[in-house]
This record gives sequence, structure tokens and C-alpha cells, in this order.
Amino acid sequence: MSDAALLPQDDPAFVADPTVEVADLSVWFGPKVALSELSCSFGPGVTGLLGPNGAGKTTLMRAITGLLGPNAGSVRVSGRNPRTDREVHRALALVPEDEAVPGVLTARQLVRYVSRLHGANDPAVVDGALETVGLLDVADRRVRGFSKGMRQRTKVAAALVTEPSILVLDEPLNGADPVQRAHLIALFRRLGSEGRTVIVSSHVLHEVERLAERQIVLLRGRLAAAGDHHAIRDAMADRPRRVLVRTAATRPLAAALLELDAVSSVSIDGDNLVVSSTRARDVAVALPRLARSVEARLEEVRPLDDSLESMFRELVR
Amino acid sequence: MTAATAVLGYTLRACLPLRRWWLLALPCVGAVLFGLLARVSEDTPERAFAQVAALGLFALLIPIACLVIGDAVLGAEIRAGTFHFTWLSPAPVRTIVAGRWLGGWLVALVTLVPAVALSAVVAGSPQSAWAMVVATAAASAAYLGLFVLVGCVARRAAVWSLAIVFLIERLLGAALSGIAQLSPMWEGRAVFAGLAPGAQELERKGVPDGWAGVVRLAVITLATLALASWRLRHLRLTGASD
Repeated sequence: MSDAALLPQDDPAFVADPTVEVADLSVWFGPKVALSELSCSFGPGVTGLLGPNGAGKTTLMRAITGLLGPNAGSVRVSGRNPRTDREVHRALALVPEDEAVPGVLTARQLVRYVSRLHGANDPAVVDGALETVGLLDVADRRVRGFSKGMRQRTKVAAALVTEPSILVLDEPLNGADPVQRAHLIALFRRLGSEGRTVIVSSHVLHEVERLAERQIVLLRGRLAAAGDHHAIRDAMADRPRRVLVRTAATRPLAAALLELDAVSSVSIDGDNLVVSSTRARDVAVALPRLARSVEARLEEVRPLDDSLESMFRELVR
Repeated sequence: MTAATAVLGYTLRACLPLRRWWLLALPCVGAVLFGLLARVSEDTPERAFAQVAALGLFALLIPIACLVIGDAVLGAEIRAGTFHFTWLSPAPVRTIVAGRWLGGWLVALVTLVPAVALSAVVAGSPQSAWAMVVATAAASAAYLGLFVLVGCVARRAAVWSLAIVFLIERLLGAALSGIAQLSPMWEGRAVFAGLAPGAQELERKGVPDGWAGVVRLAVITLATLALASWRLRHLRLTGASD
């Protein structure tokens, strides 16, 4: 399937009020192409950046923040080039995936340093950023002794201390425990709801589903899909969706289902039927009627592949 | 001003951890030992120290000490993947470069410069100490500018810096005065030759000495910092893992 075929008609790769615009962006490292003619935009709210390893997520984030220059195409942040216009960085912050932090500094010293680089020198703001990520009580400990999750939160605090209107977070939940994850997800959602542009990449896909109302999916440096995950699923209408049906009367119900045009295939695994269909809605409408006709009791009906994980599997297939 | 002082403070605190200070202590101790070595010469103390300064201090210890500092203030941080904390700020690139260089130079001024002055005293040539201070301060300024530039250009900055010192400066600079004129090693030595008593035999034709050498080293410093600023604007920061 072509990339274009995956996209809904109104091109959800772009937003109406963009703060970050990516146009025909290509980045390569020697012979390796990391991003290829990528075009999309980001606006206020939380956008999830998804893709398997090597898809180009980190490269895109580094290009957006100006750490990497494009080999072709352009990136505009609030209408400016982040590579050449350093004023962009007043409103832009990055939490990189790398664990690297200046270990000899304390968390407070690092956050204060970033604050002072932005021309501010208010200890209350520094403490506020540390408190937001739950590190105020260990703020005077050296970062070198921090766990991975604490280092990650230190970087989030260093990003938040500048009050950025555009926040780029590369795998920000790495190393965080479940309580911290929930806390950070709530924080990022709140930042998005305040009208900030929050771009989050993550491999923890169910958390992205909770976190981001909009997703951009990259595959091998190209845009694979965009929109919310339901919209992306709808855009993949020509790929079969799988529905699990649990019933004791598997064989009669399977026979009845196979008579439907909407059903591509049915497989039986014990008490489970796995129904593949390109028109899942039609199957959902017909299923109760068919079950009654063969006197089958439906114990469970649920889509097997409505998550982002399954979406990935479909896209990379 | 806040950004400049922030960069300077960060350079002194974060870029030079304790390990680097210990590493820096080695050439400083070595400088004093070279001073003792001058005492075994049968020549006059001034001439003996001039020889030790030329062959031991300017050719070996000052470049190595500056390399330890110069790599720490920028190249090591780019390699470690922590430079983005500084780069992703509205602070002008020239402020970042100047702050890093100044931090490194201050460290050289409080460690290396007293060590070479002490070396002159230990050698029995205290009247050479002030010339050594001027020459070392000027040469270390130029060296740090050079190594900051190398840190922006090359991933393996320490290796390239060593290659510049020993292959280009030491070998080619010994044969070609055109290279010596642009070399902190040879210019530092020429500054000392022009200012210190009994060191005139170190003067080299075509290489400005004395205060003219100081001006030349200042020009080299400014040129390397300007190039480093330009390079830093075009640097692709890919992170420590890449």
C-alpha cells in the first residue's frame, strides 16, 4: 500500500494552526537516509510521534529543535528557522532520549543553568520546575547518582524551567516507574491543554494512546500515517481487521459468517473465532442476527487489532 | 551577561570534574620537575632554564596541559551528548564559545602559569619567571582557542589535537617557519625568547618574538574562536549514542 493511500482525505498530517512546519524534509548520515521528503505540521496540543526503531523519530525531533540541519527541505518553528535563528530557543525545549547529563552537577544546578542561559535567574522558578517533576526533595543531590527515571525527570525539569510554548520530548517516559509515568502523562496532557505544542515520541504505545490526541507515524524515514489512532485505522480500510468472537458453537457460527461478503476469513481456535474483515462495521451489525440464527451464545466480542501496537504491525507488514 | 556568566560558571563546574584536575596536575608537577632538571646543567641558570623551557615546557607540557583543559571545555561534552543543554538556548554562539574558552583559560592561569613560574624559580632563574608567565598565558590562550575549534570540528578531538601538536607543530613547524608563525608552541617559545634574559638563542628567524609574539598569539586566539563560533553554528549534534 502506498503512503498516500493510508492518509485520510483531509490530510491529517497537517494542522490548521501550525507552530512547527516540516516541508519535504530529508536528512541523511552518509549513505543512511534517516528522513525522506517528510512533510507534516504540529500545533497546540499533544502529538504522539510513533514508529519502530530507526523510523526517524529522533532525527525529526533533532531537526525540529535545530540540533540537526536538513540536507533538503525545511523546518520552521513559529515561522523561523531553528537552525539559524537562536531566538527560536526562547520558546522551544527538548528532552532528548539520551541518558547523558552533566553528572557532577546537582539537579538544581543543572536546571538553574538552563534557566540562566535563557536570561532568567529566579530560584522560585527553578524550584517550581523541580517540584513539578517531583525532584525538589533531591534537588541538591548530584545527577550522577540518579536512577534513569530521575535523570529523565531532571531533563524534563530543565525543559520546563524555560516555560516553553513548544516542547519536544523524545521517549520521556523511559525509566520512569508506573506512578511517575502516570504523573508525567498527566503533566504533558496539562501542558497540551494549556495551548502548548507538545510532541512526544514513545515506544510505550498504550501510553501514547492515553497521552496524545493526534499521532504521526513514521516508517523508514517516511510518513506512514497521521491522525488519531481510530482515524488511522479507518484510513487503513483496505486492510482486514480482526475480531475475536468467543462462543461454544464455533463451527455453525463460522459457517454462517463465511456467507457474508464482508468476511474475508474465519479461523477457529478452541472456543474462539477470529474473523477477518475489511468491513468490520458490517460484521458487527450482522453478528447478533447470525448468532441467533444458529442458536449460538456470544460470550465475548472484541477487536483484536484496534491498538497502536497492532497498527504498527499492520503498517510495517 | 547572565548567559555569559552562566556559561563560564558551567564550564568551571561541570566541564572540569575532579578527574580532569588530577590529569592537569601531572603536567604542572612535570613543569616543576623540569625546573629541577635545569639545575643539573653546567650552563648558566638562565641559559639552562631556556633550554628546558624550549624542549620540555613549550614543546611538551604546555600543549598537553592545554589539551586536557581544551578538550574538557567543549569536545568532551559534545562527545558525551550533554552539549544540547547549552546549545538549545537563545545565548549567542559566540557567547558560548567565548565562555567556554575563558573558563578554560582561567583554569590554565591558576594552574599551568604558576607551575611554569615556579619551574623558573626552581631552576635558579627567577628573573625568567615573568617572561615565562607572559609566554605561557599567551600560548595557552591560543592553544585553548585551537582545541575549542578542534572540539567543534572533530569527533575524536583529543586524538586530532595530539596530531596537530606533534605532527604539524612539532615536526612540520620545526622545518617550516610559515607553520611556526601560526603555532602556539613556536610563538610561545618566541615570546619567551624575546622577553627572558639569556634566552635569545631560542629566537627564530621569521617568527615574531617578545610582545610582537604576544600580539600574534592574540590574533591566533581570536581567529580560532571566530572559526569555532562559525563551526558551532553548523554543527550537527547527533547525541552520544550516534
